[in-house]
Amino acid sequence: MKDQFPILQRKVNGKPLIYLDNAATTQKPQCVIDAMNDYYCNNNSNVHRAVHTLAGEATEAYEECRRLLKSRYNADRVIITSGTTESINLVAHAWARPNLVAGDVIVLSEMEHHSDIVPWQILAKSIAVELRFIPLKDGKLDLEAYKIALDGAKLVCITQTSNVLGTRNPVRSIIELAKEVDAKVLLDSAQAVPHEEIDFKELGADFMAFSAHKMCGPTGIGALLVKPETFNEMDVFMGGGDMIEKVTLAGTTFQTNEHKFEAGTPKIAEGVGWAAALKWFAKIDLASHHKRILNLARITSDYLSKKGMKIHSPLHDGDGAIVSFNHPNIHPEDFARLLDAQGIAVRTGHHCAQPLMERLGVSGTIRASFYIYNDETDVRAFISGVDRVLEVLE
Amino acid sequence: MSWSPALQEIIEEFSEIDDQFEKLEILIDFADHVNELPLEQWTDENLVKGCQSIAHIQVEIIDDCIDLKAAADAKLVQGLQGILTIAIQGLSPQSALDLTPDFAVEMGLLNTLTPSRSNGFRNMFDLIQTTIKEMI
Repeated sequence: MKDQFPILQRKVNGKPLIYLDNAATTQKPQCVIDAMNDYYCNNNSNVHRAVHTLAGEATEAYEECRRLLKSRYNADRVIITSGTTESINLVAHAWARPNLVAGDVIVLSEMEHHSDIVPWQILAKSIAVELRFIPLKDGKLDLEAYKIALDGAKLVCITQTSNVLGTRNPVRSIIELAKEVDAKVLLDSAQAVPHEEIDFKELGADFMAFSAHKMCGPTGIGALLVKPETFNEMDVFMGGGDMIEKVTLAGTTFQTNEHKFEAGTPKIAEGVGWAAALKWFAKIDLASHHKRILNLARITSDYLSKKGMKIHSPLHDGDGAIVSFNHPNIHPEDFARLLDAQGIAVRTGHHCAQPLMERLGVSGTIRASFYIYNDETDVRAFISGVDRVLEVLE
Repeated sequence: MSWSPALQEIIEEFSEIDDQFEKLEILIDFADHVNELPLEQWTDENLVKGCQSIAHIQVEIIDDCIDLKAAADAKLVQGLQGILTIAIQGLSPQSALDLTPDFAVEMGLLNTLTPSRSNGFRNMFDLIQTTIKEMI
């Protein structure tokens, strides 16, 4: 598969690139690059309004992305956003702000990405909603604590798969329990969609947020899937072109479909690129790839563990292929820079999850995250790279 | 820009090495040049903000010469502090302010001087110059 990804053919610091920072972003296959290039070469135009040929072609190419998303995830409403962060902020502004009042409870967890914490803290400051955080127990969400936290809850916002640990949360149980108290559920699925097939309607959540770039699509574009009845409870948030039905000096009426939440010129080339990625993705057997790369992550984790590293990732069946670890003495930044000098890309730091770092008792971790194009040669190169780092720094 | 002979020598030393890993190994050795800032003197004022590692730099002017003390929890950051010490220690305040951080790029140690969490060097360099400006 690597031969479909041009960037994986390059060298970094004179060594073949070993890309293990896939939880941050994935690489793009040639077909995605070609689609975006072709769009700019042949179809570039603004969408939805003009009657000329290019506008029609651009509109068709862009809206194909939405159609593919609706089909892939079995969703009736797909709002195109700039990514997971904007999707979550959109829920905060367009649904939570008009529907919640002071004292209402929003349930989050300690393993959320900052993008699923900060928007709610901003909202809490503004309309005095109460935020409750599900604690971790043995690296998993404490569901007993969750049941208690649900008292008075109007909204539950949970990551489907942790970007730090790879832990896949039991979202079915989380949604069922939330529905018992009539709370809405928002899933941060940024780390889940690259690795598993999801039926949004069947899952029963109200919102699902994710980004294209973590599933071989372009950066700068993502989606918010919304259950139809919840969609009808959303108020307009950002005003501008494309989202209106009629504007007079006396006032404005708005579109009733997803465009209502997509003010301004959309991310057209990115939509075209994402459509190409989704078509490419449809031919991939995600389940078997996930099983394979989870095994790669486990081999990596076992080796690191033998070398004295503390492993934070549980790597259970279904979990993300992420190995988050720390050496007892070597600073993560030193570790990552010396790996980079050998062409190996990993991530270090708090991974935008500082509360989780606090829970783990570390300021940051080193994270090697695998994706469908990684193979045994990458694991061997990583292990060899780690050995060389240890020779220098231990 | 022309550098001091000591800095020029380091630039040439690094320039002769192609292998990035070897460069970093040598950089780590420069940690020995740091005049260590004792733990009890680590303060918010001398903390280098926006750096992934914990790094502190204390700047003083003694007899019109810059005196640097530094500490960090990452070896490579300590190495960068060692090179900063060689570059700046003992200079007059004005000479230190005239210095630009390009030498780190010339050495091939950094591919960018944009301040970021992954690039403590620029943050440290800026902290030193800001502190000097405040003192003179």
